[in-house]
Amino acid sequence: MAKITEKTRIEVREIVLAFFAEECEADKSQITDNTSIIKDLDGDSLMFLELIEIFKKKYNLDIELKTIGKYAVKHPIETIGQLIEMQMLIIEHENRLLELDK
Amino acid sequence: MTGKVVISGMGVVSSLGYDLETFWKNLSEGKSGVRKISLFDASSCATRIAAEVPREFEEYSRSLIKKRAAGQMTRVTRMCLVAARQAVTMSGLDFDKEDKTRCAVIMGVVNTGNSSVEKDTSAQNTVFKSMTNSMPAWISLDYQLLGPNFAINTACASSAYAIAIGMQMIKNNTVDIVIAGGADSIINPEEINGFNALYALSVANDPPECASRPFTAKRDGFVIGEGAGVLILESEEHALKRNAGIQCELAGYAITSEGYNIMAPMRDGEGMAATIEKALQNAGVDKTEVDYINAHGTSTELNDRYETMAIKRVFGEQAYQIPVSSSKSMIGHTIGAAGAIEGIITVLSIKNDLMTPTINYTDPDPDLDLDYVPNVSREKKIGIALSNSFGFGGHNATLVFRKYAGN
Repeated sequence: MAKITEKTRIEVREIVLAFFAEECEADKSQITDNTSIIKDLDGDSLMFLELIEIFKKKYNLDIELKTIGKYAVKHPIETIGQLIEMQMLIIEHENRLLELDK
Repeated sequence: MTGKVVISGMGVVSSLGYDLETFWKNLSEGKSGVRKISLFDASSCATRIAAEVPREFEEYSRSLIKKRAAGQMTRVTRMCLVAARQAVTMSGLDFDKEDKTRCAVIMGVVNTGNSSVEKDTSAQNTVFKSMTNSMPAWISLDYQLLGPNFAINTACASSAYAIAIGMQMIKNNTVDIVIAGGADSIINPEEINGFNALYALSVANDPPECASRPFTAKRDGFVIGEGAGVLILESEEHALKRNAGIQCELAGYAITSEGYNIMAPMRDGEGMAATIEKALQNAGVDKTEVDYINAHGTSTELNDRYETMAIKRVFGEQAYQIPVSSSKSMIGHTIGAAGAIEGIITVLSIKNDLMTPTINYTDPDPDLDLDYVPNVSREKKIGIALSNSFGFGGHNATLVFRKYAGN
């Protein structure tokens, strides 16, 4: 279980915002925690998976996509803020993510 | 309900322009969109020419489609979406004011163009780029439409089939509005070598603009074109209720199959003639009313011979009084998009009372003796016009358009 530092939190947030700004041709400064990924940014569900791949490489994470899938079904993501929180949990708990629901 | 189906919007992307006005101007002036192939190095191919959509279209489409979505589409899919947006804009439709469950999208799609020529294909977008349902799907996503949404593949008749099925869905009251059309490009080495092996393509590479010469003695195969054509079909009642600018009436159609051969049309144009006959019956149009035929006119030996025979078989002596022209002489054969693009040309011909020519008509074939509107456009009052589409595998379609008498 990785310890989440303030530095990690800032880093994750920066990566997520930069990713959506680039992919969705949006103004990064306009993207907030409440921004809807689909309604406001015309984003898609694949973007979440692409971000996971980015974070898996960056933090050398041991997590399977099916684990994330099972967790995401119970905790659907609609906003940027929810997505950032989910990424933090993935980094922190990796393959033990589902234990959070027990 | 009047039971009539009308066309309230059209959009086109082609070698002769990617807006309706430029496209029509170039066609009216008898210009050719055929050039040396620039999409890949065709020097080793027997055919080295095609009617490509201008390169500037890329930048134009990128200004209309967001990067994320554009990256999940092929160049051809982007052509389709741009043509659809043009058509919707022209129609004046505001889908937020419509019952979206009664809005359909039907596209003729032979392939999506995800060939070796397509750029930036990766593991992550290859499925999206290859899905043959992607074109209607992207259109419905664009407008959040909730009605029937599907692709039809009947080779070169695909988008004519899409229009025909769309008309039927309106007539049987399944939907009020159909976005119908198609897009295609087979300008890639695999398809060109494949069609060359079937002796279907012209190899008259020099000069490129003279290669497509339908109905002439020197025709030696079709020239590949690419592009997209999209029409907005509506019930007349619906269009009138929202004061839409009605471009034309889609009066009838026939879709048939020949059950004969995977490549060759039925002997003496028998299947083509049956299709034209059925379309006239479906439209309730008398043969004497037909003013113009936009031919399938591929510039192949068999099509042009049999299509001419079919027209004579249906119309008898009157066939000599009906001008017949081939748009493929200018824009090449756009395969899955041909039915829609040529349907649009037929509508524009009716609207403007102007028949676009068969260019490169310099060496008449003595066996083919109809009026092919040689080389220059011609004015004529057009009340009823037909558009023919005939595909490999024996898929035939004829659409019947009528000048709209109302607004």
